[in-house]
Amino acid sequence: MQSHSAPSLPLVYSYGLAVVFVALALLTSLALEHSFGNPFWFIFSVAVILSTWFGRSGAGWFAVVCSGLSVVYFFTPPLRSFAMKSSDIPYFLTFVGCEVGVTQLISWRRRAEDSLQRAHDELEVRVAERTAELKNAHNAILQHMAEQKRIEESLQVTRTELARVARITTIGELTASIAHEVNQPLAAVAANADACVAWLSRAHPDLVEARAAAERAAQGATGASEVIARIRSLITKTTPEKSAIQINQIIEQTVALAAAQASVNNVTIELELSPDLPHVFGDSIQLQQVVINLLMNGIDAIISTTDRLRTVAIRSKFQNGSQILISVQDSGIGVNPEVMNRLFEPFFTTRSNGMGMGLSISRSIIEAHGGRLWAESDGSTGSIFYFTLPSELAV
Amino acid sequence: MKEQDPVVFVIDDDRMIRDGLRSLIQAVGLRVEIFTCAQDFLIATLPNAPACLVLDIRMPGLSGLELQVKLSDAGVQIPIIFITGHGDIPMSVRAMKGGAHEFLTKPVRGQDLLDAVHKAITHDRELRKDRTELSDIRARFKSLTPRENEVLDLVVAGLLNKQIAAELGTSELTVKTHRLHVMEKTGAESLAHLVRMTERLRTSSLLK
Repeated sequence: MQSHSAPSLPLVYSYGLAVVFVALALLTSLALEHSFGNPFWFIFSVAVILSTWFGRSGAGWFAVVCSGLSVVYFFTPPLRSFAMKSSDIPYFLTFVGCEVGVTQLISWRRRAEDSLQRAHDELEVRVAERTAELKNAHNAILQHMAEQKRIEESLQVTRTELARVARITTIGELTASIAHEVNQPLAAVAANADACVAWLSRAHPDLVEARAAAERAAQGATGASEVIARIRSLITKTTPEKSAIQINQIIEQTVALAAAQASVNNVTIELELSPDLPHVFGDSIQLQQVVINLLMNGIDAIISTTDRLRTVAIRSKFQNGSQILISVQDSGIGVNPEVMNRLFEPFFTTRSNGMGMGLSISRSIIEAHGGRLWAESDGSTGSIFYFTLPSELAV
Repeated sequence: MKEQDPVVFVIDDDRMIRDGLRSLIQAVGLRVEIFTCAQDFLIATLPNAPACLVLDIRMPGLSGLELQVKLSDAGVQIPIIFITGHGDIPMSVRAMKGGAHEFLTKPVRGQDLLDAVHKAITHDRELRKDRTELSDIRARFKSLTPRENEVLDLVVAGLLNKQIAAELGTSELTVKTHRLHVMEKTGAESLAHLVRMTERLRTSSLLK
């Protein structure tokens, strides 16, 4: 950083400077005296002032001496000699005294100025140092934050991947159900296509019936591809994308996927969905995963029972003007308090083929959506899983 | 009561499949009645016609298998063509044990279904004819007096009139009269016919 302190000139230069100033003062005085006849000694004061200011006190004293000698030599009779009349001595001493006073005053002022300058410089340096320190600290924090962000991102990636694996596992468990789901529209396509051919093959082809059958076949094909697209979206690797979604629609789609699974196990799925729910802001695939998880758990809890109704009821409602509450109630074996405490721990499972990640992942998904997921059970007559999602009105 | 045209009943919860099957069967000129669930079929009045039932094995509510059991409990005899998805082997086994007429896996080939339907209707027609005959025979045999029944048993057992008379402690003439009544009442054209009818009746009551 550039310093503002006056450069302390090397001794030679400061004394040289004094000589130059005195010489200039001498020339000026001689010239003025020659023109006007009066002695212009005070011009030397200017030389002393300038010498002291720019060359510090040493140069000042030197200028005083040089000025004194110049005055004695050039201005006090006898001229061009260092001798002096005794009557001029008081006048001369007064001059020298004034010069000494001036040099003291200026050098004192100069010192004050210098020390001020030094203090200022020191402050500048300190500020610069502190600034550098802060900058380093700032950089360190930035680096730390970047690191943190990177870790969080990699955690997010891991979490997303884990959720996807869990989805694939779920899909694996749902294979029979999904096969049925795909087969159903295909069966419709086959039946209607055959019907179409049969109407056309009659002695008098019935075009109206054939056309209707062909249209139904086409609808079936669309249906099949929709089912496949839905399953694909559950399996494919996607980063979570939040958008405004209708939770009832998510529930209905999920129930369609698990319907066959339920019917094989003779379980009825009841839906009590409150109409006109506000939208929620979330990732539809992840929310579908939560619903499918809770639904499959409900069905699993019922499978082994024989002495009761076999129903899973899914309800949705708007509450507190700010959130949507979804509940999944099963009439299964219930959850005892001991298990309840560990229910949401990762890798905790009561099933022999379970991964134990379903509820843990579901909870992290719901929490990432700003909601809550919890369970209630009296331990014998089934359990209810609840989750909330903030509605878009509240967001 | 005159027998009506054959009817095919289709029960499937999937509207598109239901419509497809209905259309397919109608296209070959058969009468079709469709039901969206098994319960509806149970409470429906069945026409007096040869019929068969095309049934999805897997349906919400009352399943195909449960309907099969209920129909059999209620004594309703109708050939059932089950449509099953892949991997429904345990269900298929149960249906087969319950006397399913035919199995077709989904998606069904149209011609397979029509073939199965035709076969089932022919089968049902024969069964119905059989049942009508049997109930005719049963009605005729019901009109026999206890004494005539005794005579019938012994005749069918291959005894001569003389032996029967001895067995029953009566005269040969009386046995002849009873025997004549039996032949008239049952409409038997010959002894062999009488034996056949009796055997049929006994087998059916054994089966019952």
